[in-house]
Amino acid sequence: MDALANNFQVLFQGLALGSIYALVALGFVLIIRATNVVNFAQGDFAMLGAYMMVAFLVGVGLPYWLSFLLALVGMGVFGLIFNYGVYYPLRHRGFLPVIISTLGASIFLQNTVLAIFGAQPKRLDNVIAGGVQIGSVFLDSQYLVILAVTMVMVAFQFFFFEHTMLGKKLQATSQDKDMARLLGIPVALMIAITFVYSSALGGLAGVLVGPVLFVSIGMGSIIALKAFAATIIGGFGDVKGAIVGGLFIGVIESFAAFYISVPYKDAYAFLMLFLVLIFRPQGFFGERVSEKA
Amino acid sequence: MSTQTLEAPRKRRLSPWPFVLLVIAIAVPLLPYYTNVSHFVLSMFMQATTYAIAVLGMVVVLGYTGQINLAQAAFFGFGAYGVALGTVSYGLSFWVSLALGIGIAGLAGGILGMTTLRLGGHYLAMITISFQQIFDLVAVNWIEVTHGPDGIAGIGRPSLFGHELSDDRAYLLLCSLVLYAMIGAVWYLPQTRLGRAMRGVRENELAAEVVGVHTLRTKVIAFTLCAALGGVGGGLYAGGFAYISPDNFNFQRAVEFLSMVLLGGAQSPFGGALGTTLLILLPEWLKEMPPSLQFIKDVYLAIYGLAVILIMVFMPEGIWGLLRNGWKKFRTALPVDTSGIKPLNLDIAVTQTTPLLRLEGMQKFFGGLRAVDGIDLEVSRGTVHALIGPNGSGKTTTLNVVNGIYKATGGRIFIDGNDVTLKSPHERAGHGLGRTFQNIRLFPSMSALENVIVGAQRDNNPIEPGAKALRARAMSALQFVGLADKADTIVRSLPYGHQRLVEIARALAGHPKLLLLDEPAAGLNQTEKMELVELLKKLRSGHGLTVFLIDHDMGLVEKVSDRITVLNFGKKIAEGTPQEVLRHPDVIAAYLGDPNAAA
Amino acid sequence: MRVSIWSALSAGAFASLFALSAAADTIRIGLVSEITGPNAEAGSYTINGARLAVEQINKKGGILGKQVELVIEDNQSTNPGTVLAFSKLGGNKDIPAIIGPIRSTQVQAASPTIQKAGVPVMIGGTDPSLTHVSNPWVFRCRPNDTFSSRVIGDFGVTKLKLKKWAIVHSTDAFGSGGQKALTEALKGLGVEPVLIQGYTNNSQDFTPVVLAIKKSGADVIGTYMTNSQDVGIFAKQLRQLGVTATWIGSPSIVTDTAMKLAGDALYDTYGIADFNPDANAEAKSYAVAYRAKYNVEPDVYSSWAFDAMNVIAQAINSAKSDKADDIRKAVLGLKNWKGVEGNYNFDANGDGLRGYNIVKNEGGKVKFVDHISFDK
Repeated sequence: MDALANNFQVLFQGLALGSIYALVALGFVLIIRATNVVNFAQGDFAMLGAYMMVAFLVGVGLPYWLSFLLALVGMGVFGLIFNYGVYYPLRHRGFLPVIISTLGASIFLQNTVLAIFGAQPKRLDNVIAGGVQIGSVFLDSQYLVILAVTMVMVAFQFFFFEHTMLGKKLQATSQDKDMARLLGIPVALMIAITFVYSSALGGLAGVLVGPVLFVSIGMGSIIALKAFAATIIGGFGDVKGAIVGGLFIGVIESFAAFYISVPYKDAYAFLMLFLVLIFRPQGFFGERVSEKA
Repeated sequence: MSTQTLEAPRKRRLSPWPFVLLVIAIAVPLLPYYTNVSHFVLSMFMQATTYAIAVLGMVVVLGYTGQINLAQAAFFGFGAYGVALGTVSYGLSFWVSLALGIGIAGLAGGILGMTTLRLGGHYLAMITISFQQIFDLVAVNWIEVTHGPDGIAGIGRPSLFGHELSDDRAYLLLCSLVLYAMIGAVWYLPQTRLGRAMRGVRENELAAEVVGVHTLRTKVIAFTLCAALGGVGGGLYAGGFAYISPDNFNFQRAVEFLSMVLLGGAQSPFGGALGTTLLILLPEWLKEMPPSLQFIKDVYLAIYGLAVILIMVFMPEGIWGLLRNGWKKFRTALPVDTSGIKPLNLDIAVTQTTPLLRLEGMQKFFGGLRAVDGIDLEVSRGTVHALIGPNGSGKTTTLNVVNGIYKATGGRIFIDGNDVTLKSPHERAGHGLGRTFQNIRLFPSMSALENVIVGAQRDNNPIEPGAKALRARAMSALQFVGLADKADTIVRSLPYGHQRLVEIARALAGHPKLLLLDEPAAGLNQTEKMELVELLKKLRSGHGLTVFLIDHDMGLVEKVSDRITVLNFGKKIAEGTPQEVLRHPDVIAAYLGDPNAAA
Repeated sequence: MRVSIWSALSAGAFASLFALSAAADTIRIGLVSEITGPNAEAGSYTINGARLAVEQINKKGGILGKQVELVIEDNQSTNPGTVLAFSKLGGNKDIPAIIGPIRSTQVQAASPTIQKAGVPVMIGGTDPSLTHVSNPWVFRCRPNDTFSSRVIGDFGVTKLKLKKWAIVHSTDAFGSGGQKALTEALKGLGVEPVLIQGYTNNSQDFTPVVLAIKKSGADVIGTYMTNSQDVGIFAKQLRQLGVTATWIGSPSIVTDTAMKLAGDALYDTYGIADFNPDANAEAKSYAVAYRAKYNVEPDVYSSWAFDAMNVIAQAINSAKSDKADDIRKAVLGLKNWKGVEGNYNFDANGDGLRGYNIVKNEGGKVKFVDHISFDK
């Protein structure tokens, strides 16, 4: 009975952290689909979002929901700047220069935030205080919120891309830029929108996870690596894959830490990644790596 | 290139730059012997030289071969831990430890490469990052062996020819010498067989494979070399600082190596060394700003990040690329010496009468689509055989299966009696199969000559061994297509028709028994087409070379072919001489559309 | 354009390499600390403490009549960064003494460099071995972990009468060193821990650790945790999952950051602290001055650096010389010198302090409980 409770607790923690990976992974995937490049600053979007929240909520003293909204809007604007500063000038130059450029952006962001906010980690309070106690299992309210918001975002994602005009245009852009251009879709604008959305999504992940991990400069880096592993495990560039991959990594590392070894916790995600790449390189949902012609 | 004046000197004016570089290179490691240099400065020099060696590995893998590696810090770490553990924990001599470290680094690189290099691109980026993270975690947590996060202190230094290198200055000299030797080796590499293969992989992997480069092996070798160079750098670093800990070898360091090679210029070892020096000095320089700019001290890493973006945007080839392009402008290209080029030998002994190429029930399905549906075909030796058919009839697919780019779903393929059905494209090239592509696939930033040499260096090419023979063969091939005077031109800047000819020359340089031409006339204007016809006629005139071609231009096909096979919906519908085939009712129906089937 | 970048870069490079100039009317004291990297937070407090000391010293007329100037070198929170920082400051002949880092692993890394440079260095790392590697230039301005673990063990076993111990430690040098020392100390008291659990710094989830503690049935937890942030997450999850065991932690448990982050999750825990504002008169006046200047609560990261700076000033003044050897002798000669962390008596190894305060977190306020000293 006790073992069951423990397992449930471990599963819950894993799912909750996994949701955060999934949210960040979703941002990854959208940008990958739109631009074919990996944004190594995606984790820092989460970090920046969390700091914006701190600035509005604690610094300025605005109410929670207003701060939340402003942080998301702020991240959207930031996504636009990021698009034109980091991606746009390099859009014709293959994936390597863009990857490096986003790595540079990551270093820049972390150290700029450090210079502004200082090194001391900041505290954010849970959206709803407390949590739910079931026997010896405790479900932290913030983790429940994270799970709920992730589900809502996933649902929104599907609705948005399948059932709205803008979503369909974005889809078309990600599938075939030349064709989209011929159809009169403003491709550059669509990519800019993708960055805005993806940045806001990253910011949302940061705001949500802030109360759990606290808000610190390095909070985004390790999340981003796991999220990236999730995108590959799930199937490179696949939306479903990113979500399932994120949850999968969260759960695996939670259980492995509990049953095998805590200090190696961060290694499990990467180990899974190796295994997936060796035995199923296309990931869970990806298409077979196509033969080149 | 074309604007050279007649009085252009035959001999290239000696540029002063190599000498300036040489003087600096000799002066820097000797400087500490003549001026009083602080320990800190020596440390910086030592850091720069050892890092630079690891960055040279990045030049090989990223600059030459075009593969990303975000785990160079781990390979650096293997070398460093090899030396540290060897000398401290196991009491081995420095040199033995260093060799072990380099060996393990190379081995790790090779294994990592073999398992993941098939994937390439983003996957490779992710896999190397993961490898890097796992290395870091193991180094931190496997305390019994690695000493954990405390690291290992008291690492020994070597003695060389009886000299103890405990003096920092002497050790720096050693590191510098190793660095210079490695720079020399990496600088020489592109002109070797392997180096050309690497560049071919970078420029166009598929084309490289088809002309006979074992691309996977080339990439694995590149990765292994890169890792081994990382190991050399790491081993020397450990000896130099006498102390290492895992945070020397984490992901940040790997990114730093990457930034160094990109900043300096990934295509040249000099660029790599330059980038390393600058990025080691940059933070120090930012820290030493005058008091009015003291705030920079607090944000220098932010500036560093910004600089990385700006470099990517404004200096794609790095600083070295910028400098090189700068002084190239002032250098007049020498005219190519076209005297004494031997005529191209294309002779194939026709001793047997069996067909050179034989397809037995060959099939290729894509999911439910039967692109090629059981074709039997024989191509006789010394003939030009054309494959025609309407769009989507499976011509190009057939060519790709014959070539090995696609694996056949069923049936068998024989070249000169050898069953090649399961062989990879480069192995088929080794059997004497050459090819050109409909959409030209050259190595765009290599010269015409280099492109053709890659074709000449296929396995089993019946020429004398050695670089000289390769070059001679390539020049003959260029002469054959009439482009010998363009040998040194970068192919990207050649007109389209010339590029097509270079591609044919590349295939011919491999002395093929069978040449596959995929729509050779596509995109050519009328004059160029005439030239192509002449060339094809030249090819068929009694060399014994067999040509198998696809084209849409019926006039051209009729003029050059001995036999024609017609495909429709993946099946053979007719075969015979041009006169027979082009009057065949099924063929006419296929091309004009069956009036009964329409609507 | 290109030329100007080049000349600027090379000029800057050479300036940084060769022109370490100094004004002759000041005395320059080095400080190697974390300005960037994951530990930059603690580093900023260390700099605060040292700066406050410098300010006070300068107000009183400086050292040997010269004004004091701090030369701060960033170690990027890494070991190699520390080694480079020391070789830079150590190679500068104008700097007679250096205040080193608080992290044991960094001191360990830099120890050979310090020895080579031959400059007295005040350190805050508490790994006992640091002062036992026959490096004459390393002086510790904090008690080392043999004392901290003895204090934790003694307080828990003798005073609180708790026998079922779980030890949670970071796997870095500080954490594993502390874990070993605490296990030893408990053995000396006849107690075998029921659980020893490591974790890597910057863990995001301590659930497995907490569940292991739960399973072990421990009634007291002794911790050696390096980062305040980890303390915060661990504390929250520990209490959420209903573990009520007594907790006695290493100094990070009473840092301002940990207490801010964890809030009520850390109430009623015990910590050992070499610094407490109520421990003695020096500490009290230091706390007042520190709060006034920085508007944050003083903690150990700043207090030890404050002491270190004052020890250096005292030593140079009493030696009337800024020669390394003279300073070294003067430091070793300090007897019962009153600092904010307690009374300094440097032994031959260079260890200055042998006592700890036991403090308790009462509703977010650190209350002084006891001072346990092993001074003979």
